Amino acid sequence: MQILAGPVVQILMTAIGFSGGLALAAAGITLIYMTTGTFNFAHASMTAWGFYIVFSLYKVLLGGNPYLYFPVAFLFSGLLGVITYVLVNRWLLKRGADMVTLMMSTLGVDLAFFAFINIFADYLTAAYKVNTRLIVLTTEDIVLGKVGPFPFKAITVISVAIVVGMALFFFLLLNKTKFGIAFRITVENPSLASILGINTEVIYAFAWFMGGAMAGLGGAILSLVISGTPTVGNTVIVPEFAASIVGGLYSIYGGLLGGFLIGLSQKLIINWLGDVFGGNIVVYEPIIPLLIMAATLLIYPEGLAGINWGRILRKKSGR
Amino acid sequence: MMEGILEYLYNPLVLSILVNMAVFLIVTLSLNLETGFAGIPQFGRVLAVIAGAIGAGAIAGRIMAAMMGLPAGLEYVGDKNFVIVEQMNKALESSPALSIGALLLSLAVAAVMGGIMGYLASYPAIRLKEAYLGITLLAFGDALQIIALYYDPLAGGTAGIVVPDVFRFTGTGEIRFLSSTLIILGIAVLVYIYVQRLARSPFGRALKAMRDNELAAKVYGKDIVSLRAKTLIIGGALAGMGGALWTLYTGSFKALTYNRLTWTFWPWAFMMLGGTGNNLGIVLGTLIFSTIRSLIYAYKTELTTFIPINPNWLEYLLIGVIIVLIALFRPQGILPEKPEMPLSKKKIESIRASLAKGD
Repeated sequence: MQILAGPVVQILMTAIGFSGGLALAAAGITLIYMTTGTFNFAHASMTAWGFYIVFSLYKVLLGGNPYLYFPVAFLFSGLLGVITYVLVNRWLLKRGADMVTLMMSTLGVDLAFFAFINIFADYLTAAYKVNTRLIVLTTEDIVLGKVGPFPFKAITVISVAIVVGMALFFFLLLNKTKFGIAFRITVENPSLASILGINTEVIYAFAWFMGGAMAGLGGAILSLVISGTPTVGNTVIVPEFAASIVGGLYSIYGGLLGGFLIGLSQKLIINWLGDVFGGNIVVYEPIIPLLIMAATLLIYPEGLAGINWGRILRKKSGR
Repeated sequence: MMEGILEYLYNPLVLSILVNMAVFLIVTLSLNLETGFAGIPQFGRVLAVIAGAIGAGAIAGRIMAAMMGLPAGLEYVGDKNFVIVEQMNKALESSPALSIGALLLSLAVAAVMGGIMGYLASYPAIRLKEAYLGITLLAFGDALQIIALYYDPLAGGTAGIVVPDVFRFTGTGEIRFLSSTLIILGIAVLVYIYVQRLARSPFGRALKAMRDNELAAKVYGKDIVSLRAKTLIIGGALAGMGGALWTLYTGSFKALTYNRLTWTFWPWAFMMLGGTGNNLGIVLGTLIFSTIRSLIYAYKTELTTFIPINPNWLEYLLIGVIIVLIALFRPQGILPEKPEMPLSKKKIESIRASLAKGD
C-alpha cells in the first residue's frame, strides 16, 4: 500500500525491475514452446527455485551480495530444465504425444519441483531457524543513488541490462553461428533438420536448459523486487504465461517484449486505478495481466507476433 | 448386516474417501465431457466450480434468507453472517421438506451459475486453439477466484461465509456427515448416469467427431460453434453443482479453498489416470486418487515418524510423479476410451441375429 501511495517515479522503478524478471521467464516459456511444442507449467517452480536460491545462499548460507548468486540461480534452474527434458519431455516427443499430454506432464514435474522447494524450505527452517515462508529481500538491494527522496536501486538497471544482454545473446547466437542456424531449422522443420544431420535432441536440450535458466534468472531478479513465499511461482506463473502469449509464443524477442508490456501495465495501471478509486482496488492487481492477455487474444487470436506486421507497414508506406 | 455396514461407514476415513470421491467425480466427469469428448483443453475448470460454490453459498443462501424474512443484503456476508445462518439452520433442522427444497434450490442456482460461466468460456473457445485457449480458460478461473477473494460483498472475501446446513435435518455429528455423504454420492451417481447417456447419444457422438476431425464434422453438417457452446454450458453446470456440494458439505464458503490446483489440476490428474474419454475410467481414477489423498491426510502423524518430510509435500510429490508416469507409460489411462454403443448390447445382438436370419 505504501509503495502505491508514492509517486510514479518509484513505481516505475519497481515496475521496470519486475518486468525484467517477467520478461526473462516469459521468453523462457516461449523458447521451450517454439522448439518442443510444450507449454511448460513447470516454469512456476523453476522461477520459484531461482527466487529461493538467491534467498538461501545470500541470506542463510553464504552471505555477501545477492547478485553473486544470480549465476547459481541461472545454472540451477537450467539444470531443472535439462532434467525435465531428459527424464520426461524427450520420451514424449519421441512418441509424438499430443499437446495436452505434453502440457500435463510438465504439470506433474512442476508439482514434484514444488514439493522439493517446500522440503528445502522446511530444512532451512529446521537447520538455521529462519523464516522461509515469507521472504523479503527488497530492502537488501544495493542503492545506487537517489531519485528525489527515493532510493534508486541497482535491480532496476541490472534487470534491464540482463534482458538486453539476453536479447543480444540470442540475436548473435541465432544469426551469426552455425548452431543458431541449426536451431532455426529445427524450429521450422524438425524432420528436415534431422535429414540434414542436425541432432535435434541437442537443440531441444539447449532450449530446455536456456528456458529453465531464464526462469531461474527471472526468479532471481524477482527476489529483489517482490516478497515471496514458496508459492511465489504459482503467483508469477500467470503473468509469465500472459507475457509469453501476448508475445506470440513464436518469438523470443516477443516474449521479452511481452514481459515488459504485461509487467509495466500491471504495475502502472493498478497504481493509476488506486489513485482514481482508492487503495482498496490494489488487491485486484493479478487480474490486470489476465485481462490484457484475454483482450489481446480475442482481437489477435495468435498473439502480437501472429500479426503480419510487414503487411501493415507496407500498407502504411503505400507500397 | 445393515448395522455392520453402517458401523463401517461411520469410519471417518471411509467417509472422507467417499465424499471426496463423490464431489470430485462430478467435477471430473464434467471435465471429461469437455476435454475427453469434445477436445476442449479446459484448464479453467475451477471457474465453474467456484461460480457454483458462490451460487450455493452466497446467492441461494441469500434467496432463502430473503424468503424467511431475514436480512439478505450486505449483512448476509458481513459480521451478522453467522447469526443469520444459525437462525436459518434452526428452521432447516426442523423441516426435512424445507431442507430438501433448500438443497435443490442451491443446486439449481449453482448449475445456472456454472452454466453462465460455461457460456462465457465459449466466447474464447470458438475463437482460440490449443495452448491459447487452455491458458485463457485458466486465466478466467484465476480471475474469478481473485474477485471472490477480495470483493467482500460477493461472498465474504478472504474470511469467507458460513452456509446454511441443508443436511442438518438428519441429525448432528456423525449422522449428519454420513447422510450428507450418501446424498452427495447419490447425486454423483445420477450425474454419472446422465453423462454416460449423453456420451451414447447422437450429441456425444457428434462431440467425438468434432474432437477427432473438426472439418469432417462440419462437412457432415455439425454446427461446431453450437456444439462447443452446449458442451461448455452443460460441463459448467455440472462442475458448478460439484462446487456447490462441497460448499454445502463443509458448511462454509472460502475463496481460498477453490484454487486452480485443487479444482483444475487435480481433476485433470484423475482424468488422465482413469482414462480420458471413458466415464467408467473417471470413476476409477477419482476413487484411486481420493483414497491416496485421504490416506495421506489420515495418517499424517504416523507418516512423519517414518519419513522426515511433511506429508503435505509427499502428496504433491506423489501426485506429480503419478502424472508424469501416466503421461510416459499409459497416456490413454487405466481404462482406455472405447466406442460407445448407442444401444444396449442385448438389443444390438438381437438386431444382428434378426439380420443374420435374413428378415
